[in-house]
Amino acid sequence: MSAFDFAPAIPLLPFASFVAILIIGHSAPRILPKGGAIPGSLATGGALLLSLWLLLPVSAGQYHNEVFYSWVAAEETFSLHLGVLIDPLSALMAVIVSLVSFMVFVFSMGYMNDEGETGLPRYYAELSLFSFSMLAFVIADNLLMAFMFFELVGLCSYLLIGFWFREDAPSSAAKKAFLVTRFGDYFFLVGTVGIFAAFGTGRFVAGETEGMRSFPVLAEEALNQGHQILGLAPETAITLLGLAVLGGVVGKSAQFPLHTWLPDAMEGPTPVSALIHAATMVAAGVYLVARMYGFYALSPTALGIIALIGGFTALVAATMGVVKREIKQVLAYSTISQYGYIMLGLGAGGYVAGVFHLTTHAFFKALLFLGAGSVIVAMHHNENMWDMGGLRDKMPVTYYTFLAGSLALAGIFPFAGFWSKDEVLYETLIHGLNDPLLLIAYAFGLVAVFFTGFYTFRMVFLTFHGEPRTDTAADPHPVRWNIKLPLVVLGTLATVAGVINLAPVEKLTGIHLTFLHDWLDGGFEGANAHHYLELLEGVAGYHAASLGALGPAVLSLAVALVGAGLAWRLYNVPDPTEHTAKLGSIQTLLVHNYYQDEYQVWLAEGVTLPLARLADKFDQGVVDGVVNATSSISLLSGSRIKRLQTGVVTNYAALLTLGLVALILIVGIYGGWF
Amino acid sequence: MIPTSYYVLLSVAVFCIGVFGILTRRNALIFLMSVELMLNAANINLVAFSRLFGNLTGQVFSLFVMALAAAEVAIGIGIILVLYRNFNDVDVTKPVTMRW
Repeated sequence: MSAFDFAPAIPLLPFASFVAILIIGHSAPRILPKGGAIPGSLATGGALLLSLWLLLPVSAGQYHNEVFYSWVAAEETFSLHLGVLIDPLSALMAVIVSLVSFMVFVFSMGYMNDEGETGLPRYYAELSLFSFSMLAFVIADNLLMAFMFFELVGLCSYLLIGFWFREDAPSSAAKKAFLVTRFGDYFFLVGTVGIFAAFGTGRFVAGETEGMRSFPVLAEEALNQGHQILGLAPETAITLLGLAVLGGVVGKSAQFPLHTWLPDAMEGPTPVSALIHAATMVAAGVYLVARMYGFYALSPTALGIIALIGGFTALVAATMGVVKREIKQVLAYSTISQYGYIMLGLGAGGYVAGVFHLTTHAFFKALLFLGAGSVIVAMHHNENMWDMGGLRDKMPVTYYTFLAGSLALAGIFPFAGFWSKDEVLYETLIHGLNDPLLLIAYAFGLVAVFFTGFYTFRMVFLTFHGEPRTDTAADPHPVRWNIKLPLVVLGTLATVAGVINLAPVEKLTGIHLTFLHDWLDGGFEGANAHHYLELLEGVAGYHAASLGALGPAVLSLAVALVGAGLAWRLYNVPDPTEHTAKLGSIQTLLVHNYYQDEYQVWLAEGVTLPLARLADKFDQGVVDGVVNATSSISLLSGSRIKRLQTGVVTNYAALLTLGLVALILIVGIYGGWF
Repeated sequence: MIPTSYYVLLSVAVFCIGVFGILTRRNALIFLMSVELMLNAANINLVAFSRLFGNLTGQVFSLFVMALAAAEVAIGIGIILVLYRNFNDVDVTKPVTMRW
């Protein structure tokens, strides 16, 4: 009995809890312990244990790929199936997702139950479904299954963002999140269909038998042999397909220009925000890029676009975070910015760096959101940072864990975020020295480090330091163990998680410390970090310049410290004032988020709507016109010809006879009888 | 021996009488008789050509046609009875409800 036999149970446990909470919560809510928090916690806790168990065989070099349900099994063309794929990447991600979900369930008991919210069974059922979809997405072994659960993740985020659907703001935020990510998913769907059409399979890795090959390997072969794909040159086809799938990634991971849904999604309950930002929804996008990295590594164009989008998003979102007044808004923009870094790392050829930052970010962002949730509970659900201040002494556990998360987010040595962000920037720089495009992306990323340091510590100082600015802040609501426990667990991880990959230390001392590199080097043939590196160098033409690790690390740390120091100067005073007015017109621009929402609304109302009206006119006039004309001709001729039906049998007999005579005449004339 | 064309001409005449009856008469019973005439015109043809080619199939066929005619009369009489019961007449121009 191996751990792999239980792999399907990882997503199925939360699913079982979803079904149980739904049924019991509907028929007998009284017997549901804690409104469903207990079954949900047990299920995600079980999933966490099973995922941890999976790490044992995976670290021993055993991997697992199994099809457990095929619903289209075709001989000649492709077959469609649900399957489980356990390799180092998915095992790592399964641990992260189940851990964060478990923490969120525990935290929810403090945030939702203790605050006397109603509709708890619905909340916990949706949260379970969310964990189920994300875990199933993580262990998906083909693109179609990934797409299905990608969509389910989007649906769950819609349900949870709109949890307080009786108010206007959450329900419209939920709709916005759903529509914006759906827009990206259209491209993903096109890409999925295109990949199935081009390669006849959507498998990420090759299966047990000869015929079950994976599409990245098939694409690589086509590229090496110069075969056409879908009637296009292989380079063009791979780039186009990769970019189509990237549409879904940009939508889900809230990358520019589809990032607008994410700040609005703050309308949902705070534990949900933690789950969305750290481990599920938003992580799904970048995980997909990592999952099919063997495909993207074949196309330098797609990689360059990923890196540029990532770097640009990292910078733009960080600048917007500088002027926000609500604590959760700052965190929302930091999420967009950090996912920009992950995309930058992946696009710049730092596959391991990207996955590393995905891992550490999951810990410290979940921590920050849960910390913010704790602050919000203490502040009686007031999220405005200008009403806080001086919370440091009142809630020390929250303060120190939140501080650990902030130091990690800002990338301060030696917290987890420092190591991963530094590796992302280092990888970008060494590849960028041979590629000016990546160098631009690196510059974006480096400048964003400054803003990250600034807004992070602006948030910390405004919330926890100084004098209390309101009565609520002077006498905050106490929080219980179920809020503190997840904070402590995640705070520890945010502090020490960097040890899995201390690349700069290894370079300096020569001691082997890059465990995540070793971990991701393992895996199925054609789907591991080692192979990706070969592809990047051989096919994409990425060449790493040799560069000491210390210089770039010190540079990014210095930039982060400058940002944090500026925040210290401006906001770590007993009675801070808003300095944003000094920015002048830039402030207006930032507060309005660069008018992204406005221009997207304009795109919808000014461009799409008239276009849709035109299409409607064409549809109503020309297409329907033809259809209606056909039917009216039939109607008219029918109403004329029906007069033959007199009901008098003699007339029919006469018609029959005349018809016979006419027939005989015709046959006679053509037969030459006369 | 009487030439076959005489039989054919007889058949034509009988058939035309039948058609004429159907086209001009109103009484349903006359209709039935006219149909009978047309069927027998066909029978005359069958038997005549059977004799001409020395092949008995045509004569057998005419026996079948007679059986068919008997069945047709049985059904026809039934219809006429229903017609009479509903309209109190056997005039085929009376029932005109089955129209557009």
